[in-house]
Amino acid sequence: MIRYLVLYWTFFKQRIKVLMEYRVNFLIGASSTLFVQAASILSIWVVMRQVPTLNGWAMAEIWLVYGLLMLSKSINHMFADNLWTLGWDYVRTGNFDRLLVRPIDPLFHLLADRFCHDGIGHFVTGLILVVVSLVQLNVVVTPLKVIYMIITVVSGGAIFIALNLITGVSGFWVMDSTPVIRVVFEMHEFAKFPLSIYPKAISAVLTFLIPYGLASFYPASYVLGRDVPPTLALATPVVAALLVFISYRVWLFGLRHYSSTGS
Amino acid sequence: MSVIQTENLTKIFRVPQKDAGVRGAVKALFQPRYKDVTAVDGVTFSVEKGEVVGYIGLNGAGKSTTIKMLTGILVPSSGQVRVLGRDPHRERVANARQIGVVFGQRTQLWWDLALIESLNTIAKIYEMDPQRYDQLLEQFVDLLDLKDLLKVPVRNMSLGQKMRAELAATLIHEPEVVYLDEPTIGLDLIVKERMRAFIKQQNRETGTTVVLTTHDLGDIEELCQRVIIIDEGKLIYDGPLSAIKERFGKYRQITFEMARDLDGVDLPAGAEIVTQDGRSLVLRFDRTQTTASRVAAAVMEQFNVVDFSLAEPDLSMIVKQIYQGALHPEAV
Repeated sequence: MIRYLVLYWTFFKQRIKVLMEYRVNFLIGASSTLFVQAASILSIWVVMRQVPTLNGWAMAEIWLVYGLLMLSKSINHMFADNLWTLGWDYVRTGNFDRLLVRPIDPLFHLLADRFCHDGIGHFVTGLILVVVSLVQLNVVVTPLKVIYMIITVVSGGAIFIALNLITGVSGFWVMDSTPVIRVVFEMHEFAKFPLSIYPKAISAVLTFLIPYGLASFYPASYVLGRDVPPTLALATPVVAALLVFISYRVWLFGLRHYSSTGS
Repeated sequence: MSVIQTENLTKIFRVPQKDAGVRGAVKALFQPRYKDVTAVDGVTFSVEKGEVVGYIGLNGAGKSTTIKMLTGILVPSSGQVRVLGRDPHRERVANARQIGVVFGQRTQLWWDLALIESLNTIAKIYEMDPQRYDQLLEQFVDLLDLKDLLKVPVRNMSLGQKMRAELAATLIHEPEVVYLDEPTIGLDLIVKERMRAFIKQQNRETGTTVVLTTHDLGDIEELCQRVIIIDEGKLIYDGPLSAIKERFGKYRQITFEMARDLDGVDLPAGAEIVTQDGRSLVLRFDRTQTTASRVAAAVMEQFNVVDFSLAEPDLSMIVKQIYQGALHPEAV
């Protein structure tokens, strides 16, 4: 464990050095997500000014749902963005071979290979939204609530990563796994809003099948003292652990079928 | 104990079959057909500690596939492989600690960073003792002439510089087994010499076992006492290099280009036609029986020669001839 933390730090430093080689690129990348997020938040703000509540949810409450999801997403974006590139950047080119002859777990190596600074923008947006929401709503922030939210966000990040890993493993077969990952990943757009506004089927999918809701709606409801089943509000870490386990099995299955390139 | 042992090592790929054109491509999308291609077919050999083995064959013969199974990248379809007593795929991390791999045109260096950054990181990946690392780094810098390259990003290096850097990065953690897949491809003679000298030196001083694939007969002659030849996935020769050299080393090849088409040609004893096609004529002669000048003079007497060139027989030609039965393993 300590070895892998040291290694992550080593790879992280390498990555920062590479990023500094292309300074302009770095600044654009780190700030562009901030702008993209600002635009999407602005659009919600414009709509919400016209409709004061969305199925009983005020704008400030929606910010909490949105913000928590954004924080989880940022963890995936910063630490596991390389899963998107497995197919075309590693398998197709044969670069994946390099990871397989190093004395490191190949999945760890893949993730550690590229810390993605674009995720910093998501993290900052998410944090701002959560803070703004809690302040506006005068929520009494107890240490327990802070710990609860931190655990939720980390678990939510794990859910994002595990789902991307399950779909990203298709890169061992289809070369460009991006569309496959996207199908599942884009479902998180629904989870930016309270699940109660959706038809039952969609809300069920986002709770039990592709459980992004466990990283946004349920924990937000819990923090705000809204009426949700506590089991679901507390299930996030358990579901995350389960998904991580499943995704790692799927990864190992893909790894066994890796067939490298011609030469 | 053998360092590498394979038994009936086999790899079968399932390759999708497509008809030509857009129609074929679309058809393959809805009605995929597959064909099994046997890339490596029941290969058995073992390599002892400290040996330098040339693993050769034509393009597509199954060399790289074998190396990938030895390094744990690919899982064999059937058969056994053991490296230092381990299954390289099942015990990949433990195996990787003891091996070093150079894949011809692929790099393990950080493309955008100075070489020294890559080497420092690799030392950390392999958990090298810092003192030992400094000592080896100094030695490698000297042997591979890397002094001026340490601060240069890999993307700014020439091919020769890159390969020298690559070799240093592969051997710095003192692997017990080194796999070199086409390490000298595309390099000029001086760089080749330097790389060969370095590999030789490492092998001699540290007893590193080396498996080398190459198309360059020079690499083999300089480095290997033993060669393994495969063709269409099957092992067709495993034995000393000297046996091959005795049989083929005495031949030279001359290619002539004539002013006009030729029909028959009289040759001095010891020379024979390899190919004859319109205006070009390729001859092979035995150096112990005749000389290049005698052969050339004989041809020039009979025809109007526009151009000619003299060449050592290349490895692919030898492999082809061996495959056609020129040298049976039993006969050695």
